[in-house]
Parts: sequence; C-alpha cells; structure tokens
Amino acid sequence: MKRWGKMWALMGLLLLNWVSNVSSLSVTVNDVECVYEYVLFEGDTVSGNFVVVDHDIFWSSDHPGIDFTVTSPGGNTVHNLKGTSGDKFEFKAPQSGMYKFCFHNPYSTPETVSFYIHVGHIPTENNLAKDEHLDPINVKIAELREALETVTAEQKYLKARDARHRHTNESTRKRVIGYTVGEYIVLALVSALQVLYIRSLFSKSVAYNRV
Amino acid sequence: MAGNADVRRTVMFPSFLFVTLLVALSNAPVGDAIWLNLPSTGTKCVSEEIQNNVVVLADYVVVPEDHGHIPAISVKVTSPYGNNLHHMENVTHGQFAFTTQEAGNYLACFWSESHTQGGGEASVNIDWKTGIAAKDWESVARKEKIEGVELELRKLEGAVEAIHENLLYLKSREAEMRTVSETTNGRVAWFSMMSLGICIAVSGLQVWYLKRFFQKKKLI
Repeated sequence: MKRWGKMWALMGLLLLNWVSNVSSLSVTVNDVECVYEYVLFEGDTVSGNFVVVDHDIFWSSDHPGIDFTVTSPGGNTVHNLKGTSGDKFEFKAPQSGMYKFCFHNPYSTPETVSFYIHVGHIPTENNLAKDEHLDPINVKIAELREALETVTAEQKYLKARDARHRHTNESTRKRVIGYTVGEYIVLALVSALQVLYIRSLFSKSVAYNRV
Repeated sequence: MAGNADVRRTVMFPSFLFVTLLVALSNAPVGDAIWLNLPSTGTKCVSEEIQNNVVVLADYVVVPEDHGHIPAISVKVTSPYGNNLHHMENVTHGQFAFTTQEAGNYLACFWSESHTQGGGEASVNIDWKTGIAAKDWESVARKEKIEGVELELRKLEGAVEAIHENLLYLKSREAEMRTVSETTNGRVAWFSMMSLGICIAVSGLQVWYLKRFFQKKKLI
C-alpha cells in the first residue's frame, strides 16, 4: 500500500507541472488584439503584466494608454483596466476554461504591447481522488514555485519598462542633437536675412524716394 | 513542453489506466500556451526581445474548426538582422528551435492560407518558451538519474539561477541607460551655452557688417 501512496504522490507532483507559462511576447495592437489562455483548474491564480512599448509621443508627457479586458469562458468580465500604459494584474479564476485577454487601442496609431501571462496552480484536496492524500511537500514545492514565478514576472515587467524607458532616452538624445543644430542653422539664416533686408532698404533705387 | 516531458516517465508505473489518462491529457491542445486568432487576410506577428545565446523552443498547432476542417497556415520566423530562421507554408502544425546568435527583436509571423473558407478565422496555439523554460528536464533526469522531489528542486534551482541572470542583465541595461542619460544631460548644457554664444556672435557680426556697410555708403 505504501508503494501506491508514493505513486499517487508522484502523480500529484507530475500533475502540478501543468502550470502555464509563456515568455513575455509582444503584439502590435491596431484596434483590438485578443490573446487566449487555457486555465486548467478552477481557483487557479492568473497573474501577469503588460507594458505598452515603442510609441514616439511628440508633445504630451504621458502615454494616452490602452484598455485591457479579461473575459472568462462564461462571458463575464473578470478584470478591466482602462487608459493605462502598463500595469500588473492578478485574479483568481472563477472557472476553468479558455480565458480571453483583450487589448483595445482607442487611438489610430498602432501600439506594440509586451505582455506576460502566468497561470499558477497549487494542488489542493479538491484535485485528487477520494483515496489519495495530499503530500505536504508537493504543496510546499508548488508554493515555492509560485513565489519564484512572481519574482520572474516582476523581472519581465521591469524589463519591458526598461525597454520603453530606453526608447524615450534615445528619442531625447536624438531630439537634443537634431533640434539644437537646427536652431543654430535657423538663427544664422534669420540674421543673414535681416542683414539682406536692411541692405535692400538702403539700395540706390529706393533711397532717393525714402531716406 | 514541461507537461509532456514528465508524462512520458509515467510508463514506469503499473497503473496503465492512469498512464493513458495522463498521456491523453498531455496531448490535448490545452495547457501551457497562448491562442491567437488569425484573420483570413493579413498577418499576425508576435515578437520578443531576446538576449544573445538563449535557447528558444516553440510549438504551434492549428486548432480544427467546428466542422472538422483544419485550416492551413504559414509561418515565418526572422532574426533581428533579417535572417530567416524558420519558414513553412501551408502547414497545420510544426515546431522550431534555435539558439539566438544576436540580441534583439525576434519576430514570428503567421498568416492564414485557407482562402476557400471565406471569412473563417483560424486559431493557432503557440507554445513559445525561452531560456530556462525551454530546458529539457527529462534528459537531465535520465542523465543524472534523479526523479520526484529532487527533480522538482533541481527545476527550482534552475529558476533561481535564471532570476539571478535576469537581474544582472537588468543591472547592465540600467548602467547603459544611465550613461546615455548623463551624456544627454551634459549635451543639453553644452548646446545651450553654444546657442547663447552663437546668438551673441551672430548679432555681433550683424552690427559689424551693417556699420561697415553704412560707412561705405557714407551715411555715418
């Protein structure tokens, strides 16, 4: 009997390997872009983050933002964020099934969104059959794994934000050089035009009538 | 996929029923991937910025529509310098793996090839794994003859090492960005001073030129 107990424990361990994990991917959102993810167990914690990258804002100091909606398989909106340029989210899945994560871009310029979704599962008594017992070490390992996953998720969020900050810095650097050199040229041109204009005021053909 | 790798080990256990159950569950198109809807025209691309020397492993499967017909899609994966890493036309499933040679934005584009269905959207299941998630734990378990709790702890150790590497990478990126910021800061100061200098120089030149002009014209 002990051997069967060990077998069930190991099978429980194998089952908890089905935690969903994707790398942080980027999609270009023209109007609405939806990504689907399957949640295996009810009560799983779905966490993730998204950052809007690669948008060259000209005048305003802040990004106008996009909308983010999560729809459960039953059609209810589980999570909703409006007008944000990047945020983290976390919710407990009310049912198992296919969840829809939608990004909506209310403006005409296409945006690139970098997102990361993670479905974490910690085995509980409900997931096992009646004659099994839950080995506490499996639960502890699952909890450890989830804790490490939150750190990894934070890092992916930081990486995406760093990429966006880098874009802004590069843009600032280019603007500083471009606009200052342009300013010098315009200044020189304007003063040359001024001189020419004053010269023309004193030209012989006009002078006798005016000065 | 991590689920598949560990399920194959279940053949050691005597319970055939649960072996088949687990195998069936692992082969079902659910679990650890994202789905995308491909419109009938146009391309849908996913990209990721990846560092140098990272293993990338990806699987894609087209989900069959309600009436059993599986639409065909085409895939193209390009490196940041434009090299073609994987290109398949008119397929319903496939996988690709590569180790990144350059750091940058890797792009995977999908487009639908079934124009006959007219208006139907193909659903693609993409399982994209990079770095530690792409590691083949099954071969590690076989080679070092570890299993169960020890294997799980080994995976956790791998995850911690990946976190450490990521942290070092973020640190180096922050240092680079700080350099750029500080150069820009210095440049703003210099260029503003130069702008003032040019303004003064140009107006000085103007006054000198006009004075010489009027003296030549015998007006002063």
